[in-house]
Formats: sequence, structure tokens, C-alpha cells
Amino acid sequence: MTAERGTAVYGEVVERDVVIVGGGPAGLSAAARLASAGLAVTILDEQPELGGQYYRRPAPAVARHWGDHRPEGGRLIAQVRAAGVECRTGHLVWGVDDDGRTLLASDAAEHPVRLRARRLVLATGAFERVFPFPGWQLPGVTTPGFAQHLAASDHTTVGDRVVLAGSGPFLLPVACSLIELGVNVAGIAEAGRPYRPSLRALGTLGHPARLRELASYAARLARARVPIWQETVVLRADGRDRVSSVTLAAAARPTRPVRTVGVDALCVGYGFRPQTDLARMLGCEVRIDAASGDAVPVTDAAGRASRADVYVVGEAAGIGGVHAARARGLAAAYDILARETRVTVPVSEARRVVSARRRLARFTALTDSLYPDPAALLATLAPALPADTMVCRCEAVRAEEIRTTATGSADGDLNATKAWTRAGMGPCQGRECGFAVAGLVRSVASDQGAGESRVEVFPSRLPVRPVPLTTLLELAGPESQEGDA
Amino acid sequence: MSTRTADAVIVGAGVLGASVASHLARSGHRVLVLERGAPGREGSGTTAGNLHMQAVHTRRPGQKVPLDSARFLPLQRAASDRWETLEEELETSVEVRRTGGFTVAETEEQCQELRDKHEWEAAAGIHTEILDGDAARAALPLLGPTVAAATWCDLDGYANPLKVTPAYLDSAARHGGRTVAFAPVRRITRNGGGWRVVAGRGAAEQVVDTPVVVDVAGPWLGEIAALAGITLRMTPVAIQMHATVRSSATMSHLVQHIGEGLSVKQVAAGNLLIGGGWPALRMDLAGRSATSLDSLVGNVALAVRVLPFIRDLRLLRMWAGPLAATPDEMPVIGEVPGAPGFYVAGGTYAFSFAPLWGETLRCLIEGKPPPVDVSDLGPGRLMERRSQEDGRIQEDNGPEQENHQDRRSKRC
Amino acid sequence: MTTERNRTGRHAGPGRAPRTEIVVDGDSVRAVDGISLAAVLVGERRWSLRRNPVGGDPRGPFCGMGVCFECEVTVDGRPGVRACITKIYAGMQVETAAGGEVPHDR
Repeated sequence: MTAERGTAVYGEVVERDVVIVGGGPAGLSAAARLASAGLAVTILDEQPELGGQYYRRPAPAVARHWGDHRPEGGRLIAQVRAAGVECRTGHLVWGVDDDGRTLLASDAAEHPVRLRARRLVLATGAFERVFPFPGWQLPGVTTPGFAQHLAASDHTTVGDRVVLAGSGPFLLPVACSLIELGVNVAGIAEAGRPYRPSLRALGTLGHPARLRELASYAARLARARVPIWQETVVLRADGRDRVSSVTLAAAARPTRPVRTVGVDALCVGYGFRPQTDLARMLGCEVRIDAASGDAVPVTDAAGRASRADVYVVGEAAGIGGVHAARARGLAAAYDILARETRVTVPVSEARRVVSARRRLARFTALTDSLYPDPAALLATLAPALPADTMVCRCEAVRAEEIRTTATGSADGDLNATKAWTRAGMGPCQGRECGFAVAGLVRSVASDQGAGESRVEVFPSRLPVRPVPLTTLLELAGPESQEGDA
Repeated sequence: MSTRTADAVIVGAGVLGASVASHLARSGHRVLVLERGAPGREGSGTTAGNLHMQAVHTRRPGQKVPLDSARFLPLQRAASDRWETLEEELETSVEVRRTGGFTVAETEEQCQELRDKHEWEAAAGIHTEILDGDAARAALPLLGPTVAAATWCDLDGYANPLKVTPAYLDSAARHGGRTVAFAPVRRITRNGGGWRVVAGRGAAEQVVDTPVVVDVAGPWLGEIAALAGITLRMTPVAIQMHATVRSSATMSHLVQHIGEGLSVKQVAAGNLLIGGGWPALRMDLAGRSATSLDSLVGNVALAVRVLPFIRDLRLLRMWAGPLAATPDEMPVIGEVPGAPGFYVAGGTYAFSFAPLWGETLRCLIEGKPPPVDVSDLGPGRLMERRSQEDGRIQEDNGPEQENHQDRRSKRC
Repeated sequence: MTTERNRTGRHAGPGRAPRTEIVVDGDSVRAVDGISLAAVLVGERRWSLRRNPVGGDPRGPFCGMGVCFECEVTVDGRPGVRACITKIYAGMQVETAAGGEVPHDR
């Protein structure tokens, strides 16, 4: 072993025209269009099936007996397969090789796979925005997304009596899915006041079709007499080894209890955050979105990032919903086709995507305006968070410790606070607590007028997810895998 | 903007800066620490935190010059003693673990090096014990079959680098010391018999007049000295560290390799920390240095060969950090010749040496005899030979440099 | 013990979905073929799957999409398998850390 090894790590590299990371609506849309034009396309997804979170496929047995909640997802996946896209499911992309462009992945059996492409499309989607409260680490407290997957893909109920809380339109379809399975949805606590004067009114306002979908959920909830408590947040969850009750508070006074509800599951989420680790690891420029506090890759209209060979599409490029995600995936595909092949995309087809994107952007702005900005919510919730709340679930770091460190030696610096408290250092790598830790640091740092150039999100680091050392040993060559273990 | 005064301005709130700030403040000096970013976040926040008290024989992968162990060991011995009392001195836990450590050898050549090392250690008063492969495995059953011999030193250990720097800064603060973070030093000029230091910008600008500047800026040591018109030949490098997920407590000792870049230990939280000076992909002194897959894979393969149980763990994260290395790999500490009141300290193994160097600098600044003789470690040996118009700065110390070479050639 | 008190497919539609049998902490559990392991466990109301390595408190599935690592279980001897992104198959052997000593991540 010497520093001059310089030799690349051991093993083959898969070479493709286009590699797409993420098999959700955006990645699938791009893949189908690119492969149908004859390009060699590989799509990678960590999940065992294509579809991503939105088009998550039901188990075949579930689909046969209870139906497919999103058949359009199944049709899109079928198109992708028919177009000859190489589909690598169960593949986790965990890093980037030293050349700055070869993707490091591992397959379902955790063997390493390295892939290189002339164009990379990152469709890594989003994960749910959560905010801690005392008791959020109790079993039975989940994200709304988990409850939705259980209901739609696995025909399983998250609980028998459930409260949904947080903010955003997503809480409504989740509540409807639960009701359909016979779950007693005790209520929905929404941090904002989006529904006025009443739920039913939404449908009569002549909003675009997409908003009518929201209204139809609202109508179903009204029929099932599910109360919606607006301007209400979770104060705490209680239970011994499992959640047994939730106590709610007014959003404006998040320290004073107003109602306690007995539950056996509690699902709390504040919408979604773009998953941008890979984009950042590839050196794509990001900006901090003022309304959400999230890092969002800087792209052009076609999704092209600051690196010419990288496209960021779908929710990873900013939260916009499934239709926007599909349109973004297609826009990237057209741009790549224009650069890679002599295939001319019919003007009408391209124009449809552009106008769809515009329309969807307006819709997103409209929906967003109904709900409170995450950054504004954070500014209210973070200072009110009780001192002993476990903020980092992995490393069991409490709010007080984060505040003390951020005010003291870390001097308002997010990364120093992370290093000195271990908040964000566990296996989830700060994805669950990052939003809250940033909010706590900001809330105390602003008191002391911290300087201008502070980091606002945890940096992206290899590996994106914990990787077995055995996977790395395979990269070191055959002689490194012998052993007595 | 206002001009203030201090008895000493310390440039860099890394572990060395924090230590010297604490020592000076406790001795009654009014100290001001200026830090370009958040305290303790560069080399001192990225180091493994090893306290290796047996000879550091290993070369970092890529290291050109070996360490002069015979000269280094007595210093190490003195540094070791200070860690014994550190937590008491700082009135807090910094997770010092003196549970001993092994340095392993795999080849016959490496075994011979272990024996040589053992002799120097004996001469320096550092007790080590040589074990053959089976004895080593009996002492630490986690060691793999390729280990042919090992030395054991009960002084070896580690401390949590993320706790040591803040603890020193807190101690300085309790004695009136001040730390200003996010205040990069921009200008250092002569001001009468002392120095004027300008840091930060706009409303946050700091202008300080002081008789003493202590440049402990780690990888920026050379850049800071250059602001004062002093040219030092430093060779900063960036190395990387790897951490596994938490594991149930299985290894309480530090394990190093005599011939290859390896250090492994299990930290208080349960994570295994794997290092050994493997080079980062890119050193970036303006942002975060980039990690290298090649180094990751090489370091992990070596770690698994020596400690096979690691194979079953998962890599949680990795990071790279800069290191203030000198061309001769020896520490640098002392007043800059021709620049009275301007002190520097740094070099590799600054973490182990932080308590000793803090005390040493305090003594030098107060004109008292230091706890160890560092006269041959001064910055003069790193200065460019050039004719300065004002004649203030020029290289001397030629003989000391030769001394080093002498000792090294004897050893090799 | 074999349980049929399953919250999966409570509202069975036409016919009965095919079931498969897996073993969870020594108990035989029947569930709809091909659903996620997290769904089987939650359907059985087996929520505590691991213990936090710092405090030892019980943890269960949280995010349902592979991000939070709270649903890690041992499957066929392989530790650290996220139940939420794993589908069940016949004969799958699952161990949770529901009752036992404080485990550590592996």
C-alpha cells in the first residue's frame, strides 16, 4: 500500500448513455422517453420495486384482491420496461467515486456496483419533513407517509384509532385511505388555517382541477365526520412502550395544552423535503430556499444543474407534486435527447410539457400559499420546544443540549453544534432531526446576531446511507475478502 | 470599529490555540482568540484524537520523511504526563481513556522495526512490552492471524477531540479569556514594539494592539505568518477518517500498525474510528476537504486484516481534515527569529501535544524556562533564505537543521 | 403460536388473498404474500423492533421509506435490515430486539 497507488478500486464499471437515480414519477418519465428514443438507460432505486413513494406498487396479492390505488403508476412502469430500460431495483446509490462522476452503488445482496454515464439524472425524490415533540420517538408515532404506504400498498392499518397532525395537503388523502380501511381517524391537527370557511367550500371556489382533488378528500372527511383542528399542533405524545395519547396545543401558543386524545397511532408530518445528498456530493450548486429552509439544487428549466452532465428532476429539485415531477422528468429527457441524439422531439410534444410545467408551478404556488411556510413554522415551534425533547432520535440528543451548545462554544454554527452534541450523527445522518436542529440553532443564534456566512443545512457526506464494510472490501479486490469471519 | 488591547492575541481556536489561551489566561494574561470559522472545526475537529505515546513510527501514506523518533519520544513522554491531570485542570470530562494500545507488525522487517522502536522507547522512559503474535492475540483476541508481533504500551489512549477544544476555551473564558469566532485575521503589522492585528469585516471588525501574537492556525499557520511578513515552509496535507456505526463495546485499546497507515479504536459512543493518515482526495482550505474512495477502501481493507471483527460493521460516515505538517515532520514551536513577540506552534500530532505546547508557549512568552527543551524546534529552520531589506527576517538555525539530519541518519 | 389476528386484509374483498408464513421472534406469523415486512409487524401490532443504543428505549417503524433506520431487524441472520423496504417471503426468519438487552447497530 502506498499513496501512489492511484489505481482505481477493483471491479467493473457499468457504462451507459444515461443513468437515472430514483424510480419514482420523475425518473420513470425520463427513463421511458429516453429509452424509447434508443438510448441505453439504467434506472436505479433503493426500494425493491419501481414506483418511488407516490407510485409505490401494491404487493400483487394486494392489487388482485383490493385493487391498485394508482394504476397509472403501474402503466408507467410497464412502459419503462417495454422501452428496454435496465431496471436495477434494490440498488442503493451511496456515493461518488474519486473521479467525481462514477456512481457507487450496492445491489440487493450488498455487492458493489459502479456505474458511469454521459448524463446523470437525479430523481432522488423527497422525504417527509418532521418536527420533534416530547414522545415522538415512541413506537406508534410515524410519518403520514408510512401510514399511507401501509394502507395503499400493503392493505394494513397503522392503528385502530389514529390522529394525523402536521401541515399540508398530504394529510387529507392519508386520512381518507385510513377511513377506507375502517380506521377511526380521531382528527386531523393542521398547523395552518388553509380550510376556510369550511372544508366543503374548497370545491366551490372554481379552483383548477388539481385543487378539486383536494376538495374531494375534504368532502369525504366531512362525510365521515373527521374533525379538522386548524391552527393546532402536537404538544406531546404519551405512552409507555407505545403511544397511547396525544396532547394538542394551539399553533400560536405551542406550550399550552388544549386537548388530549387517546390513540394507538399518531402520524405527524409537515410536507416534504427534497433529497439532495447525491446532487450535492456531485458538486451541484444548491441554494437555500427561504420559505422552507431547504437546500434546493440550482437548475435551468430542463433540470440541468450547475454541472452540465447532471440533471435534477422531480421532488429532488423542489417540492411540486407528482404531475410537476413527471413534467420535469420529461423536460430533462427532451434536453438530453436534443444533445445526445438526432431524434427531434415534435414541437407540440415539447410545448405541452412546457405549458404543463407552467400550469403546475402556478398550482404549487397556490397550494403552498394555503399552508404556512415551513421556515415560518420553524421559527414559532423551535423556541417553544421543551428542553428535554429528544431532538436527534438516533443519538438521543435533547433540545436543551443543542441550545446550550449553539449559544456557547459552537457560536451559532450548525455544523459545530452537530459535532459537539452528536445531533445528526446517527444512522439517519440528520435527515429526521436536521430541520429541527437548524431551527434550534437559528433561534438561539439570531438572539446573539450571528454572522452572515453560516451553514444552514447539514452537509452531504459519503456514504449517503450506512454501507457494509464487506461491500467496500469487494472494492479492495479479491484478496481482501478472505478472512475467518 | 474600535481598537482594543490584549496581552496576547492567539490566531486559531483549534486545540493548540485553546490550550495556550487557557494556560495564559490562568496565568493572569488578558488573551483574545481570533478564529476564522467556528472554534475547533478544522484539524482539531477532524482528528482521530489519538494519544499515542509509544513511538509514532508509522508514515502516513504518502509521507516522504520519517519522523525522528529518537528526538520525538522524550517530548511524547512529557506530553503524556500532562494528559493524566488534564480533566482535573479543566474541571470537566474530555473522555480521556488511558487504556493502553498495541502497535502491530506483520512482516519480519516490521518486527525488527518494533524491536528498534522498543529500544528508543526504553531510552525515553516510555515502558513498552514486545509480544509475539500469539501473545498479542492472547492479550487482544480481536487481532487477526496476520499479526506477527506487537508492542504494548499502557500509556496509549485517546480523548474526544470534540470535547477537548471547547473545554480549553471554557477554561480560558473562566479566567477572562475571549474567543471571537468567524473573525478571520486579515492584517498583522508591527506597531511600535508590538503588533496590530486586524480581523473580521464591517461591524464585526476587530483591531487589537498586543505585544504577543501566537500563530497556532494549523494548516493556515504559514498564511498567517505571511501576513506578518514571515515566510515559513509548511506542507499542510489533508487526511481522512472513517467511522462505523455504533457497536457493542468490544475493544478498549488503541491499535496501530508499525509499517502501514492504521489506527483503530472504539470511542465512548461505541463507533469504531478507523484512520491512519490516509490522504484525502483534495485539501480545501476554503471549504471542506474532499474524501477519497481509494483511501477509504485501502484503510478499511487494512483495518479488517488486522482486526477481522470489523468486517461485520457498517461504514457510517467519513470526513477529511487538514493537518499542519512541516517538511521535516517535526513539530515547530517557538518565537520567530527577528520578529519579537511573534510565536508559532504546530505540526503533526498537535492533538497529543496540545497540553504540553500550551504550557511551553506560556513559559516562552513569560520568559521562563519551558518544561522541555524546544530550542531545536523553533521556526527558524523553516524560514526561507532571503535578504530582507530591513534585515528583520532572515534564516538562521542552520546547525539545528543539520542536527536533525544527523540523528535521523544514525537511526536509519 | 400462530396468529391470525392480523390487521392486514381485514376488509377482504373478493376471495382471500394468498398468505405466506414467516417466523418472527420464534412465532409463526401468516400474512398476505409479498407485502412489506414492516406492514406484517405493524399489522401484528409488534411495534417495538429495536432499542435505541443510547437510552435503551424501544423504537418502531417511523418513516416507512428507508430513511430513519428505526425499523432495523435481523432477517435470516443478517442484521440491520430495514423492515420497511423489505418484502416478506415464505420461511423468512425475523428477529427483533423487542424484549432483549440493549443491542447496538451493526
